[in-house]
Amino acid sequence: MTSTWLLYLFFAAALVFTGLYALLTKRNLIKLFIGIEIVSKGVILALLSTGAVKGNVLLAQALVITVIVVEVSLVATALALIINIYRHTKSLDVRQVAKLKG
Amino acid sequence: MIFLFIALPLFTAALLPLIGKLSRRVVPDLVGNGVLLFLLVYAVVAGRSLIDAGPVVQQLSWLGESVNIRLVLDGFSLFMLVTISLLGLAVGLFSIDYMEHYGAKGTYYALLLVMIVGMNGLVLTADLFNIYLFLEVGAISSYALVAYGLGHDELEAAFKYLMLSVVASAFILISIAILFGTTGDLSLGGIARGLKVLDNPGLVAICAALFIAGFGLKAALIPFHAWLPDAHPSAPAPISAMLSGLLIKVSGVYALTRVFFNVFGLTPALSMVLLVLGTVSMVGAAFLALGQKDIKRMLAYSSISQVGYIVVGLGTGSPLGIAGALFHLVNHALAKGLLFLNSGAIESATGTRNLDEMGGLAKRMPLTAATNLVGSLSIAGVPPLNGFWSKLLIIIALVQTGHPVFALIAVLASVLTLWYYLLIQRRAFFGQLNARWAAVKEAPFWMSAALVLLAVLCVGIGIFFSAVIARWVQPAAGVLADGTQFLLRWGW
Amino acid sequence: MTLQTILLIGVVLFSALAVIARDLLKAAISLAVASLCLGLVFFGLGAPYAGVFEISVVAGLITVLFILTIALTKTGGDVREAKLVNIVFPLFFLVFLVVDALVMRSLLRKIPVLDAPAESGSFGQVLWQQRTFDLIGQIAIILAGVFAVLALFRKRENHD
Repeated sequence: MTSTWLLYLFFAAALVFTGLYALLTKRNLIKLFIGIEIVSKGVILALLSTGAVKGNVLLAQALVITVIVVEVSLVATALALIINIYRHTKSLDVRQVAKLKG
Repeated sequence: MIFLFIALPLFTAALLPLIGKLSRRVVPDLVGNGVLLFLLVYAVVAGRSLIDAGPVVQQLSWLGESVNIRLVLDGFSLFMLVTISLLGLAVGLFSIDYMEHYGAKGTYYALLLVMIVGMNGLVLTADLFNIYLFLEVGAISSYALVAYGLGHDELEAAFKYLMLSVVASAFILISIAILFGTTGDLSLGGIARGLKVLDNPGLVAICAALFIAGFGLKAALIPFHAWLPDAHPSAPAPISAMLSGLLIKVSGVYALTRVFFNVFGLTPALSMVLLVLGTVSMVGAAFLALGQKDIKRMLAYSSISQVGYIVVGLGTGSPLGIAGALFHLVNHALAKGLLFLNSGAIESATGTRNLDEMGGLAKRMPLTAATNLVGSLSIAGVPPLNGFWSKLLIIIALVQTGHPVFALIAVLASVLTLWYYLLIQRRAFFGQLNARWAAVKEAPFWMSAALVLLAVLCVGIGIFFSAVIARWVQPAAGVLADGTQFLLRWGW
Repeated sequence: MTLQTILLIGVVLFSALAVIARDLLKAAISLAVASLCLGLVFFGLGAPYAGVFEISVVAGLITVLFILTIALTKTGGDVREAKLVNIVFPLFFLVFLVVDALVMRSLLRKIPVLDAPAESGSFGQVLWQQRTFDLIGQIAIILAGVFAVLALFRKRENHD
């Protein structure tokens, strides 16, 4: 039973890694957001597989659906920001955007 | 009806953009502030009597069937609710004048109320997944509010904030998945019970690390602080006050504390981690604040530093330290809120946030100067203002629990804090009146009202500190000091 | 079981392709295919509702939003990514997979788990009666998203 769980977690971790890699290295704003989407996929997979191996697949489905709704709201807000940034700087390059120092 | 704390602002928020379309002038302000006032009164008046008999659990029923909305109001939640309502009302009042030239006030108040729904929901729930969900509610509304001015700086700050914040949320969700997988439960009490049975420190360590990364970023602890110095200054002043005064504390400190104290139980290892993280933030941010010319940026770094104090106080694990930390939480919320609103008053009068360009404003804006002085002295920890007492409690607790070195560092950081706040006073308000400001006027009515309200609270809480601590802070500290026993005893 | 594994590999593969792709449109489509595979994985796990949601919302709605944004932000020249990033990625990825597999293997049989209470009722019951507060939260999230978009795209009377 635990080996199934670990199999799914293996893939979930790979997805999170891919997403984080994109976030750390890419410069295009939209690519950065694709990175976030991939991280979300990994987390949703982890959540659902956890529920499935515990026999609580219905509960896990409810959680996953909620997380997807959160994701949609997030995507809408982020893309609205990106479009506005594009209107200001005419560019999607994160280096153009990063005028402020941390 | 504890559910009102969530239902009322949510319902009003849904209606506000419509109201804003129908009447641009007075009605959105009236409705928004009315709701905030009601929440404050309800929290202060009804809340105290509700929990005198012990924590209140409200289970709702819908058409005869009981639906699973279980809201839990204990000392800690009530404490947070009052703080949220208090600063929320002040920010609402301030926004009446300040947000005039931003436009679409109906949508602004709607977003503000949704953020309050997020924070209220977070503190009232006893389920870990709900904590994540309402955290996201507050976060999404804050992204939009930071970028509200639609200028280049705000959009960039909001985007950076969004990116970092989403990664933090992912970490939190992973930790929740792990806890669900190992304990089979999502409620705080259930997880606490399960962890006790499992008795696996490695598991707790991994989940704790993920939570520190996640909630620590929301609370802007160093090294997770990179988003705050851009986001807080660029946001409109009332939103900076909300973020610095409330959001980082509710979604960061409250959530972290609730999980670490009541679910995991504070072990010596966790305690040391909190102490170290808190101290690094306390000192590091204080140094970073020194070199700033932008007044809001200096205040932002100061927020990071003061949250460090709160975490250090919590890290001591002693009832005195916890009480001091919680007291500092509300003091800082009020004082930092006051200072950010103040900077907004300065900015709308003079058009600049650069300290080098200001000078001698006290002659033209005496009320703003006076309230700024109160706020600054409060955060710097000067008696008899409220900040002094909370810092004192934390320092005494550090000495009592055998960490004299940390206590010394806390005192030194406090001196540093005093120094850079006096710098603000000197450069902005006193000294020669810069010729450019010869014609500026004092802040408009509602802005001044909000400033005075917060300043009076700072002074009042400072004078009556023992009564405030006994009535509001002690019950909250008691909940945390009980540790996991609290949840196990009440069986949630 | 092997079908699941193939689908899982598909998800990871298409996600990696979405990261590497130079053309934004191809990246968005690749991401949509990854979501499709993930939805099928959910079906295989016995979670049809999650699968339907994943396919229709993430592979459908979010992809549409992405393509809309890509269309609205067509630049004259593309953003130049660092060349090294795409070359190094497969290397890091393989190293990570090896570490990942080793960690998972070492955790085998070592994780203590408690059994969860058995599930009863239908999905509707679980969603509406057990996780009702989540639904309130969802309403708040949707409102937050709607207001955010309204606020960010509002008409400005004056520019500053």
